[in-house]
Amino acid sequence: MADILLHLANGFVDCLTPLNLAMLFIGIVLGLLIGVLPGLTLVMGVALALPFTYRLGVTPSIVLLTAIYVSGTYGGAFTAILFRIPGEPIDVPMLWDGYTMARKGKPAKALGWTLVAALGGGLLAAVIMVVLTHPLARFALRFSSPEYFAVLLFGLTSVVALGRGSLGNALISLAAGMLIATVGTDETYGAYRFTFGSRVLADGIEFLVVMVGVYGIGEVLARLEKGFTGRPIERVANARTELPTLREISAIKSMFLRSSLLGTVIGLIPGAGATIASFVSYGLEAQFGKRKKEMGTGVAEGIVAPQAAATASVGGALVPLLALGIPGSGATAVILGAFMLHGIQPGPQVLATSSAIVYAVFASLFLGLALMCLLGYFAIQPLVKILDFPEAAVSAYVMMLCFVGALSIRNNIVDLWLMIGFGVIGYLFEKFKFPVAPLVLGVILGPLAEGAFMNSMISFGNDWTIFFTRPIAGTIMVFTFAMLMLPFVQQWRARRVAAA
Amino acid sequence: MSPISQKTKLSWVVALGAALLGGPAMAADYLERPIEMLVPWGPGGGADQLARLVSKLMEPMVKQGIPVLNVPGGTGATGIAKLLAAPADGYSMAIYIADSHALLAGKKPRWSMNDLTPVAVMIKGPSFLFVKYDSPIKTWDDFVKRAKASPGKMKIATLGFGSVDDFSLSVIAKSGLKFVQVPFAKPAERYVSILGDHADVLYEQAGDVRRFLDGKQMRPILIFGERRHPAFKDVPTSFEKGYKVALPQFRSIVVRAGTPPDRVKALSDALAKVAATPEYKAFLKDQYGFDDSFEGSAKAGAYVNEQLNDMKKAMAAN
Repeated sequence: MADILLHLANGFVDCLTPLNLAMLFIGIVLGLLIGVLPGLTLVMGVALALPFTYRLGVTPSIVLLTAIYVSGTYGGAFTAILFRIPGEPIDVPMLWDGYTMARKGKPAKALGWTLVAALGGGLLAAVIMVVLTHPLARFALRFSSPEYFAVLLFGLTSVVALGRGSLGNALISLAAGMLIATVGTDETYGAYRFTFGSRVLADGIEFLVVMVGVYGIGEVLARLEKGFTGRPIERVANARTELPTLREISAIKSMFLRSSLLGTVIGLIPGAGATIASFVSYGLEAQFGKRKKEMGTGVAEGIVAPQAAATASVGGALVPLLALGIPGSGATAVILGAFMLHGIQPGPQVLATSSAIVYAVFASLFLGLALMCLLGYFAIQPLVKILDFPEAAVSAYVMMLCFVGALSIRNNIVDLWLMIGFGVIGYLFEKFKFPVAPLVLGVILGPLAEGAFMNSMISFGNDWTIFFTRPIAGTIMVFTFAMLMLPFVQQWRARRVAAA
Repeated sequence: MSPISQKTKLSWVVALGAALLGGPAMAADYLERPIEMLVPWGPGGGADQLARLVSKLMEPMVKQGIPVLNVPGGTGATGIAKLLAAPADGYSMAIYIADSHALLAGKKPRWSMNDLTPVAVMIKGPSFLFVKYDSPIKTWDDFVKRAKASPGKMKIATLGFGSVDDFSLSVIAKSGLKFVQVPFAKPAERYVSILGDHADVLYEQAGDVRRFLDGKQMRPILIFGERRHPAFKDVPTSFEKGYKVALPQFRSIVVRAGTPPDRVKALSDALAKVAATPEYKAFLKDQYGFDDSFEGSAKAGAYVNEQLNDMKKAMAAN
């Protein structure tokens, strides 16, 4: 333990060179911008920065990329909460309580909660990462397709909680989302599905197009219907940055801890990153949390759960990368590439021989989180003021952001038409009281779950009991079924009470 | 010495070097703007690393920027489609690897080799089968014994169905050996499957798992090819064991067919110089590629087509 602290102290010293600090600052700012722009995902952002690291040494390169990765999990919360555009898929759950809280006239408070959640979740994960690198890395190796499927199924069943009002409508919406995701070339066997002979459809429908369409465009359409009459948000009394008080934080400390731990663990799993962490954490809170009944009405828990888990997943994902040389997410795959371009092969040898680099990365994560939240704190005030502008003007910029985002996915003009189409669908869904959240959930998690399911079936000779007989998968499955049954049990109880 | 005079001196050296090395070989009206390098795969992988290294080494030689653009999707089809949509003027290049060939050899290819002109083959290296270092399987013969004892139980992790991996394994399967192929598109999941004991054997290029070989976490048990690899002299080849299959992984650089021959030549010459740099040679060694990997535009086309024919043959045999 003292050994680790000494290494970490050296890491901080290494980080405090002007070059490394500059990279840290640039990385944080870039990450925030990437997080804000829908369509430009975390992975693409980190990849875009890679060429700039050629001329740098190893440590500043990795510091830059890690900083982008960390702050990319936070930037999107701003647009999600203020304009209902999720900048990243991880910010979708932020719409349910974060945006709702903002609509209730407390946008600065909602953003304050994301700041605290990102800082808390990120720091906790960083501490766990430094102290438990080796045992965690070994734990990560126990995850295979069945466990991965179980986690995803848990994420998908969280619709039970999301479907306020009609559970049936929520399930229809979820199924529609999963169906949209099947369009294109099947990942396992390369079969064409629902392509109708079109080349564009053979390439599949990007989930980002659906996400930006139903939320961003859908929202603008809904406001257009009302002729942009209402103010987007009731006038904000004083657009001061509002951090939650210590008492408020302490009231939810156990769920805070739970979300951060969950995010760290999901980050560990190779192939699952911030997005899944964010969805699963929200689902867990909505189903088993203390205030589960109020989730979706703009409560702090609904903001803290996804944000803390998403930022915590960064620390988790760095563990298998640094300890085993296995990237736990798309962004860490790029960071691995950066290591290799500098002639370093991350893995047990590096942790043993060049531990200075590893601890500098650890230290930069701590510094990065602090810097990110400082920048976020000062950004909240001017950004909230935007909401004082006329609604039509803000909507025009929202549209622009959506179009730029959708085009940047793969530079394909067809994606823009698809996005507009999904915008209309999103608008109609809201109008006829179908929740759009399960649709987006299905589009994002559906294909991942399908892939994990197919792999498990191939790997275990079509034996479906494998999901229940493997200890980790089985445990998660029990939770999933408890989640599915809970509403029915509660109904039955309520009826018995009423009868008695 | 003042910083200004130092800078002037440096620019003289650069100009002189450029005149000696590259200047005269370049076509007069070519290389006036940046050249785009398309990678039809995601960032961080083997193809991506090659593109970024080549871009870094080639930029000073042609005195132009060479931005790397990742266009993943459709097992490499999306990126090639993007190359074919650009004008054939030599300002767009793409990384073309053996796995893209698997698409062409498959059922419904969306383009043919006639649409592309290979500029250079940058790496050739054999593919291997690996096991976990402390696995009870230590050699290929151990694997055969186990596969025969429990047919259909041994698992081999690959890139996916219809890939080069699939073709190579199907030749082994024809010998009567029964095993399961488990497709993991993401490299991370593929490696975890071995290190976490979820699969028994891994099909991979040695360069991609170098860190696990150096760390004594994996060991090779079979090379696909006719000759043994100098770095693994004890590892038998597929031909020694009676499987007539050698589909080496190669990574090449292509442009659209119809690009003026003098521009193809200019690119090929620049790439030859890239391949001769110590930095590139170190990369080749790191990737366990063959020393004589590089083929210029004169021979690259023939090599790439030969590989395609081999693969079609392997597929027709099934």
